[in-house]
Amino acid sequence: MDCFYAAIEVRDRPALRGKPVGVGGARDRRGVLTTCTYEARAFGVRSAMPTFMALQRCPQLIVVPTRFDVYRRESGVIREIMRRFTALVEPLSLDEAYLDVTAHPGAPAPLAQVIRDLIFRKTRLTASAGIGPNKLVAKIASDLRKPNGQFEVKPGEVAEFMAPLPVRKIWGIGAVTERKMERLGISTCGELRRFSRAEVQEQFGKFGHELYDLCRGVDERQVEPHRERKSLSNEETFSINLETLEQCEGKLEEIFTELAAELAQKAAARKVTGIFVKLKFADFTRTTVERAGLEVSLDSFHALLTEAFARTGKSVRLMGVGVRFAESMPAEAQLPLL
Amino acid sequence: MKFSVTKEKLLEGLQQVQNVVSTRTTLPILSNVLLQAKGDEVHLTTTDLDVGVRGSFEARVEKEGATTLPARRLFTIIRELPSSEIQIEVDGKNAASIRSGQSFFKILGLPEEEFPPLPKFEDAKVITIRQKDLRDGLRKTSYAISTDETRYVLNGVLFSLKENKLTLVATDGRRLAMVDLELEFPRSHEADIIVPTKAVTELQRLLADEGDVKVSIGSSQIAFDLNNTLLVSKLIEGNYPNYRQVIPSETKERVTLERETFLNSLHRVSLLASEKSNSIKLNFSKNNIDITANTPEVGEAKESLAVAYKGREFSIAFNPEFFMAPLRNLTEDEVFLDLIDEMSPGVLKIQSPFLYVLMPMRISS
Repeated sequence: MDCFYAAIEVRDRPALRGKPVGVGGARDRRGVLTTCTYEARAFGVRSAMPTFMALQRCPQLIVVPTRFDVYRRESGVIREIMRRFTALVEPLSLDEAYLDVTAHPGAPAPLAQVIRDLIFRKTRLTASAGIGPNKLVAKIASDLRKPNGQFEVKPGEVAEFMAPLPVRKIWGIGAVTERKMERLGISTCGELRRFSRAEVQEQFGKFGHELYDLCRGVDERQVEPHRERKSLSNEETFSINLETLEQCEGKLEEIFTELAAELAQKAAARKVTGIFVKLKFADFTRTTVERAGLEVSLDSFHALLTEAFARTGKSVRLMGVGVRFAESMPAEAQLPLL
Repeated sequence: MKFSVTKEKLLEGLQQVQNVVSTRTTLPILSNVLLQAKGDEVHLTTTDLDVGVRGSFEARVEKEGATTLPARRLFTIIRELPSSEIQIEVDGKNAASIRSGQSFFKILGLPEEEFPPLPKFEDAKVITIRQKDLRDGLRKTSYAISTDETRYVLNGVLFSLKENKLTLVATDGRRLAMVDLELEFPRSHEADIIVPTKAVTELQRLLADEGDVKVSIGSSQIAFDLNNTLLVSKLIEGNYPNYRQVIPSETKERVTLERETFLNSLHRVSLLASEKSNSIKLNFSKNNIDITANTPEVGEAKESLAVAYKGREFSIAFNPEFFMAPLRNLTEDEVFLDLIDEMSPGVLKIQSPFLYVLMPMRISS
């Protein structure tokens, strides 16, 4: 979906149309933007940018609060549309999903057009699509004709399509790997292909094995419709930094209570393997303490918080608590009923 | 507003409504409980805009009036009070003074006018159900509700009213539970509606053994009137999938099982089901079922059950949790398991109108 949250806000409040709009927390609360409209992007505003920074770049930016219940509902509507065409829908987030349409009799590009039209008719929101022989290619292609467009890479065109792309486009390559590649004189997928599988593996370890395939546009991952949530967390950025452990403890109960409520609502049946506490400090450094085998209780989180706080003693800007889940059931083994 | 009440009555009243209060909200008023003192009663109302509950308790009202107070905070304070007699007095600025024994608390509320009113049900279709029947029906189905938010139409129980039957259905796409209740209502009241999980959970807490519940069905809302308490909820919009099509019309093998014995065996064997595959296998042979589980590099478990079985020998795998959930929520001594083959859904039945369809797991070996 094209700037999903922002698009919904603009749709529901026509007065915002054509204006730079960001969705997220307010500046005085140290909020962060989740998304923004293309009008805002023209000013250099980006998602995940702190609101105060976004307002520096674009003083006329209109910041509206998030309404996740609405986004979830719209997301559900969109996924119902997708499921009319294939049962193999793997959601990546509320506004993004992989669809395996191999079994569909129609050609994929017109099919993508039909799905996008239906989404627009039902939600008045625009979507973009990437069509390719695997997840990697489809995902990269989906960014190329945004907003409200689609791009198809046919199986015979994959090598040619991948060659000029910067290596950063491959999932799993972050800043560190990118720098390492630069030192080796590699900036595009095509350049990476000059290396043999053994050489790539030697340079990049286990991931190198995959890299060798990925830079050629080879990706064997299946579309998994029942991928499960791996963790659940709750965090809060404070309007005033917390200076002492006592102050942190005061906030912990509230953040934990919310997590526990969400856990009960969304994942009561899931087995928790570990719990963690994350702190972000005034200087934007962060630390995370994670333990396996502790029960999900205020006491457990309290112990982790004490340890995390003791690591630096710096004043705390953000505190988060969360749990990790055991894989409860591999999707390939449980047969679907409906 | 001013009233006196026993700690017990006030706590009971708050307990009925406080679960609905949202923990995370942009509207502060939704964290509050609305208190309305009138006659010799105080009414309590909470809502998160999706689900709302209204209850009441008896009190000695000295001065009628209304206010809203932070629900969780009020509950925590009342729970801790030392004496059984409590007096609450609210001034014109919605500040509540709570007195009990030697304790005094003052908590700040918000004006009642800001509290969102519960929806009205004027053109609703009304049906009456025995509370016990509805409670049993929900108990036999609600555990199968999906928690996957991306399939939002499955995040609730389907109430299907057709041909003098109320059918309750819940499914998560891998298993499905269904109950039929006989009920008389006019043809014009036939409908398919989906009641969200939160309302189902609250309703199960409120339903009792005795008495009726009056159900009012509006176009997008539903109300359950249980004499002293009213629960209202938004309905889930959308079409429930065609669940009839997944119920097998044929069966090849039927076994009768002692529910508790079978449940206990499943539970013991599941202790060695691997975390990754989480499956147990039922191996059928003449007059016997072997229940097995194994986890590579950990160990294995096996239990044999003597049963009346004359069919072919075969094995079928299930997620043990999905198999135990209905067994835990039924009360019958005997259950019937109908199977076709290792790749087709199994069906669990009892003497009364209930069925549970469970898809097996693929056996890898």
